[in-house]
Amino acid sequence: MPSYKAPLRDMRFVFYELFKGDDLLVKLPGYEEMTPDLIDAILEEAGKVCEEVLAPLNRPGDEEGCRFENGAVYTPSGFKEAYNLFRDGGWTGIACDPAYGGQGLPKAVNSLVEEMICSANLSFGMYPGLSHGAYLAIEAHGASELKERYLPKLAEGLWSGTMCLTEPHCGTDLGLVRSKAVPQGDGSYKITGTKIFISAGDHDLTDNIIHLVLARLPDAPKGIKGISLFLVPKFKVTEAGQVGAANGVSCGSIEHKMGIKASSTCVINFDEAEGYLLGQAHRGMRAMFTMMNGARLGVAIQGLGIAEASYQGAVGYARDRLQGRSLAGVKCPDKPADPLIVHPDVRRMLLTMRSTVEGCRALGAWVGLQLDLQHRSPDPQIRQDAEDLVALLTPVIKALFTDLGFDAANLGVQIFGGHGFIREHGMEQLVRDARITQIYEGTNGIQALDLVGRKMGAHAGRSLRQFFHPVANLIESKLDDAALGAYVQPLAKAFVRLQQATAQIARVGMAKPEEAAAAASDYLRLMGLVALAYMWVRMAELALPKVAEKQDSEGFYQAKLNTARFFLDRVLPQTAGLFQAIMAGGGSMMAFDEAAF
Amino acid sequence: MTAINKVAVIGAGVMGAGIAAQVANAGIPVVLLDVVPDGAARAVEKMLKAEPAAFMSRAAARLVTTGNTAADFELLADCDWIIEAVIERLDVKLELYARLEAVRKPGSVVSSNTSTIPLAKLTEGLPASFAADFCITHFFNPPRYMRLLEVVKGPTTRASAIEAVARFSDSCLGKSIVPCKDRPGFIANRLGVFWIQCAVVEAFDQGLEVEEADAIVGRPMGIPKTGVFGLIDLVGLDLMPHVMGSMVGLLPDSDPLQSCRRELPLISKMIADGYTGRKGKGGFYRLNRAGGGKVKEAMSLKTGDYRPEVKAELDLPKDLKALLSRDDRAGRYAWTVLARTLAYAAALVPEAADDITAVDEAMRLGYNWKWGPFELIDKLGADWLAERLAADGLAVPDLLARAGKQSFYRIIDERPHYLGTDMAYHPVRRPDGVLLLSDIKLRSQPILKNGSAALWDIGDGVACFEFTSKMNAVDPDILGLLGKSLKTVAKQFKALVIYNEGSNFSAGANLGLALFAANIAAWTEIEQMVALGQETYKALKYAPFPVVGAPSGLALGGGCEILLHCDAVQAHAETYVGLVECGVGLVPAWGGCKEMLQRWSNLGRLPKGPMPAVAKVFETISTATVAKSAAEAKELLFLRPSDAVTMNRSRLLADAKAKALALVADYAPPTPLELTLPGPAGGVGLTMAAEGFHRRGLATKHDLVVSAALAQVLSGDDADLTKSLDEDALLSLERKAFMKLARHPATLARIESILETGKPLRN
Repeated sequence: MPSYKAPLRDMRFVFYELFKGDDLLVKLPGYEEMTPDLIDAILEEAGKVCEEVLAPLNRPGDEEGCRFENGAVYTPSGFKEAYNLFRDGGWTGIACDPAYGGQGLPKAVNSLVEEMICSANLSFGMYPGLSHGAYLAIEAHGASELKERYLPKLAEGLWSGTMCLTEPHCGTDLGLVRSKAVPQGDGSYKITGTKIFISAGDHDLTDNIIHLVLARLPDAPKGIKGISLFLVPKFKVTEAGQVGAANGVSCGSIEHKMGIKASSTCVINFDEAEGYLLGQAHRGMRAMFTMMNGARLGVAIQGLGIAEASYQGAVGYARDRLQGRSLAGVKCPDKPADPLIVHPDVRRMLLTMRSTVEGCRALGAWVGLQLDLQHRSPDPQIRQDAEDLVALLTPVIKALFTDLGFDAANLGVQIFGGHGFIREHGMEQLVRDARITQIYEGTNGIQALDLVGRKMGAHAGRSLRQFFHPVANLIESKLDDAALGAYVQPLAKAFVRLQQATAQIARVGMAKPEEAAAAASDYLRLMGLVALAYMWVRMAELALPKVAEKQDSEGFYQAKLNTARFFLDRVLPQTAGLFQAIMAGGGSMMAFDEAAF
Repeated sequence: MTAINKVAVIGAGVMGAGIAAQVANAGIPVVLLDVVPDGAARAVEKMLKAEPAAFMSRAAARLVTTGNTAADFELLADCDWIIEAVIERLDVKLELYARLEAVRKPGSVVSSNTSTIPLAKLTEGLPASFAADFCITHFFNPPRYMRLLEVVKGPTTRASAIEAVARFSDSCLGKSIVPCKDRPGFIANRLGVFWIQCAVVEAFDQGLEVEEADAIVGRPMGIPKTGVFGLIDLVGLDLMPHVMGSMVGLLPDSDPLQSCRRELPLISKMIADGYTGRKGKGGFYRLNRAGGGKVKEAMSLKTGDYRPEVKAELDLPKDLKALLSRDDRAGRYAWTVLARTLAYAAALVPEAADDITAVDEAMRLGYNWKWGPFELIDKLGADWLAERLAADGLAVPDLLARAGKQSFYRIIDERPHYLGTDMAYHPVRRPDGVLLLSDIKLRSQPILKNGSAALWDIGDGVACFEFTSKMNAVDPDILGLLGKSLKTVAKQFKALVIYNEGSNFSAGANLGLALFAANIAAWTEIEQMVALGQETYKALKYAPFPVVGAPSGLALGGGCEILLHCDAVQAHAETYVGLVECGVGLVPAWGGCKEMLQRWSNLGRLPKGPMPAVAKVFETISTATVAKSAAEAKELLFLRPSDAVTMNRSRLLADAKAKALALVADYAPPTPLELTLPGPAGGVGLTMAAEGFHRRGLATKHDLVVSAALAQVLSGDDADLTKSLDEDALLSLERKAFMKLARHPATLARIESILETGKPLRN
């Protein structure tokens, strides 16, 4: 079983050195206290909880799974105790508003904590993760009395939350939602309908579960513009704010699934359950969308977390496992064989994983900080620019991190060989757990469509500017730099491909939307790889002087440079293939006779 | 035949004064008399400040001689055409006509601008000589801009009198003449009022709100932005009952208009309370500025109160037949209003119009419908409409029933034909000398063509380059095809005309493309596009054959620059030219700065030295000045003094072609340009002027950045007075300044604002 160590050194590098996150945050209203001392303490404590409490529960949780008995759901052994510890440590409320009992942590810092939780135990992370999503929705759209009543309990972790969107006949296409909401005249509604695939829909960790439910009012227009969002507690809440009578919410069954087995995935039935409108009538999708960027960043971080866990396991195994001899000559003559790590193909896999993990960590932190700027900066122009960048990169990182995260988990199994395939080492669990991240919170195909269909064309490409201009400026100013130039050149090549593909899709897609859709996934990956390359060049820019000035006793910065070199030499050239595929157009797909499939 | 060299207008109300202004715009002296002693003079004063302007230039205003009907009647003695536009009272008009007989010169033509009084009544009791010289000429408001002129002749009106008025109105006033019979409301108002009245009454009856009604009946006519209620606001709510009243009084009880007559208490109350539309406290729509805000509001027909405007969400089909067939609120309303309107149109032939083309032309030009009613019927099929009318128990007009399965328009032998009342197809008449590209397109294939432009053979060795892109915006495809066309024309033609039949010649370069390219930092591509435009326009200028630009409507930015490189321009009078790049934070870079510098430098009437010309160009370009007419464009030198103006839009192509042919003999391309510019000292002078504006709050922060870049180009950057700069040096300066500004976030914000809101951003 891989033992997890929180990657605090790299997190500090990304957060403080690369992005000056502490400087940035302390200038934002409400974050004045976010000094490095405080952030460090939080990260260290979170690391401990993840290493010592959550990680050890990951494999047994997977083996045991959730149970559904007599209408109730039970989490695997040890989860309740772990949850209590987690809650008592204040972790459920770290990113909540102090006004509701939270600790008011910036999103950028919170996502570092989230990464650790996802590496240690993705299934466990689902419960507080969903609660925080519900918390944010109520905070953004709830009437003040709903906020007073529900937010403190969610922040404290005494109650948990869910998002009830999917129904048996509709997942991606939520315009088809059938659940009904009938106004009762007293401000409340009776909600009736069946929701499926509800993560954390029922469990034994908290006293109450607050469901956020998409449903239609009687006078609702058809389709996506006729959906409203409701707050429906599992148990009614008394005047005193205590858990009261049952509320017509029941769990019908739980799903048996490929991964995240310790996270309950439920069918939830609402039978005239009492609920309250969140936001405006018929504007439920809009209300959901305001949290979508945060939620998708969260799923992206899950992909990153899994990749980190798999990398740690694989490195340990590659050092210990002795198999074969180095082709460059025996490395360990005193041992029966050399360790796996001497073999080029094993190194290829390890560095692919490592460059993925560290590149994504940097990119995720960039987006996370922009999310904080978008919400807190006093300067409207900075808020707008940040919002544009977040809007553009959210679908990119959601799909990129989860796809690469799955690939990394898969490489981890490969390095373990047959020992990765058996359950004992937990490597195959990471593959299974990672798989859902490519599907939920909008499949990765949907992310790609969002990118080319909505984000690319909006405001004649204004969102693109916030990404393309910094990259172009870096290339322009550093292409001929004596030291950094060698890192910038591959980025420059890939960037031109990205520019040309962007212009091509915009031009062709205007007349034929299907062509843009056909290019979408390849295009998203192309942009994602360029974004990672941009991160690697910026990291190299930082590392070069440290190495040159011999301020690198641990070899940390040299490793950065070497990883950057690997990514730029060995991963980034994929952009050439993607570019060719995009420019070839979708004709070969769309001309294919349906009957011939 | 009477030649018209001097015109008089009696009655200086909105219509009379406007007609006089348009006569003056044509360069013809005009006498304007009013019953109020200084009424005419005051009307001219008012028009000089009016927006949209009635006069095309201040020079035109000087052609108006004002006076009053008591003291200055003898001013009419040498007028060839006297237009009466006094109050709509028969007794007043008859008395005036009697007085006219005493002073007007023999053979002069008298016409009335009446919209409600039958011609038969206007000549009652007057001598036969008056009746022979008399007709009705019904102008539309505002007379400068509305191209329809309805002409009604009496039984004894001289043919030569009608011909003289028609010819003058066509060539000089730019009007399209639609002959009408002496029936109430003539054609346009008869049908237009029916349509409006029907739409209003049915909106009340069927419980629709004004936004919904306007969305449903506006779009099929191609006027989605105004619709009927918006149109009523524009003309005035109080005018409607008046026009309606006069028409129903004259029409028989069997006329379908009678059935649309209805007392609508809400509207009566609105009029009584002063809510008469845009001229009053508000109409069906208003901008509520209460509390310092700006809220678009609409009158609820259900409650009779203003409420915030709501965009109608009806999901209407684009296809007219699909709309009329839909069995829902929108479909039923569309059917009751539009089917009856179209049926009424069919009933007007031959009662009020000789043929269908008159009705279609009247509605297109008098009510700005994009399609005339018979063109709309062709979209449905006359037989389909007739069947559905019958099924609804409505009368099927004779013409519709007889048309059966035949369409009202048909292309025969590559020429447009219409269905006559004799059920035979006749060629659609074009006045002599009218050449339309749309007709040429019916009978030929383009010589060259791509997605944004085409090259046509318009006969006699002349080719026509047409923009076809959205808004006729100049894009790389246009530039590419233009470059190719120059080679083709050199080999196969004698001359080239640049012309199109869009409502605007060109709104400028395609800013959407440019902004997208800037957003993805495609600087090389942008610079290449700038260079391509420079090279192409330069090639146009030095082509071995004459090139004539023939603009109408907007010719802005890159659209203006192409005109600046033509050998000559034949402009429609309603051409609005300008170099507006600074407005979006850029400078003209397709040779606009260079050409304007040359024009002002060569003018000869400015003080000596390079600076005066540079200062003039700086003033024009830095403020993104747009000429409000072709006449004004000449003053600003966007057009040369030698460039010609065509008043009638339909004659533009023919005039341009003639101009091009006239240039063919002995044609030599212009000599290469050389300019001496003031250099850095001049640049400082211009920049200081801009800073002065900034201090007075007249220029924004980014205006200063843009002005500085422009000043650098116009002063020749580091030029020195002893050396002259050639064309390429100036183009290089333009390009450099453009590229610098294109990277500026404030410029990108300006472009985005124009594209997204249509409004300039003052940042």
